[in-house]
Amino acid sequence: MLSQIQRLSQETEGRYASDEELRFLVEYARSFELRVQTYQKIQAAEAQILQQVQAKMRSLDPTLFRSGNDDITNKWKRDTLRTLRYSAAAMLIDDPEALRERFLFWFQTIMRAFGAQKSCGVTYTVMQEVIKQHLTTSEASLILPILEVNRRMLGTV
Amino acid sequence: MANSTWGSTPELLHQSSAKLKNPKKHNHYGFKDFFQFDPNRGTIVDWNNSQNVLTTEDFIIGLVEGLEEEVGEASAATMYTIGCDWGQKDAFFFEKWFEKEYDRPMRQTNLLFLLETWWWPFTAQGWGRWEIDLGDRKQGFMFINIFDSAVARTLGDVGKPVCFLYAGLFAGFFTELVKKQLSCIEIQCYSMGETYCKFLLGGQDRIDAASFWLNEGATARDIEKRLRSGELR
Repeated sequence: MLSQIQRLSQETEGRYASDEELRFLVEYARSFELRVQTYQKIQAAEAQILQQVQAKMRSLDPTLFRSGNDDITNKWKRDTLRTLRYSAAAMLIDDPEALRERFLFWFQTIMRAFGAQKSCGVTYTVMQEVIKQHLTTSEASLILPILEVNRRMLGTV
Repeated sequence: MANSTWGSTPELLHQSSAKLKNPKKHNHYGFKDFFQFDPNRGTIVDWNNSQNVLTTEDFIIGLVEGLEEEVGEASAATMYTIGCDWGQKDAFFFEKWFEKEYDRPMRQTNLLFLLETWWWPFTAQGWGRWEIDLGDRKQGFMFINIFDSAVARTLGDVGKPVCFLYAGLFAGFFTELVKKQLSCIEIQCYSMGETYCKFLLGGQDRIDAASFWLNEGATARDIEKRLRSGELR
């Protein structure tokens, strides 16, 4: 949304914006309360979401938390927590573009450097299933597309 | 955007509120995070306190063609040498900021992570994205792909490799990193009508062989194949 506002202000320099150009603001205003509510729910359930994702992943494939002989659970937790927080913020301000530019493009190269694409793929697939249990359908519809972008960008070899 | 890492002076500091609040934030490569514009002083300083200068495509054309006019065929070697010098200096500059940012010695770090971290400022500055293939490094060579080379993108399809500055940069940086003399050659270039640029990095014998094959009309794929089968001419 902030990226869109910036673009709008550049494109409408010296003139009024058309109704069509303003539509995203109207839509954002309409969805604002739902966004705040979803953000707060994710915030409150963060630890639980993470724990459920971890448990589900461990049941699917315990080796996802190992790198050679090292247990990388804590590293995974740090990375996943950070991504979830950035994702929630992007959902709140409806700015997936900024999420990509400021976080995902960089994080993608780092995850690839560590060969973590498989783990990321499973993490953000499972996270979509888990987060649905904490949110209503309309709340989930705001965050799921962002988690799917995370899965595609971080989890693809 | 070009940077001058060795031209940075202590008084040029990236001091945005975002950086002061989160000095250890690693994902700081978004345009607004990475660069701090100071309109009063007319400076652009990046996250690592290196001074940057905005340049146009005309500047790049002027640089390449002007040098060609001055020194003729030696312009390629000149650009390569400038790149080497830049890469060597940047290796020291990188070591300093990497160790400060990550609180760990550069040489005790996952190699691919280290290299990705080295290239990120270049990506943010507009030098293009890269892809590095370390698969052959035990054999003493490796390949680097550059997407959107600033030089090739500017010059367009001129039918020959043009990214000598990049080749020099890689040779200089990696020579310092591994403390062993390495050379680099561009074996495929966007300016030859390809979709991206490809560089071979290795010892002088391999680079000479690749250069010979390239002059004989070999493609990047031919060269990869011949090197992997152990050929040296």
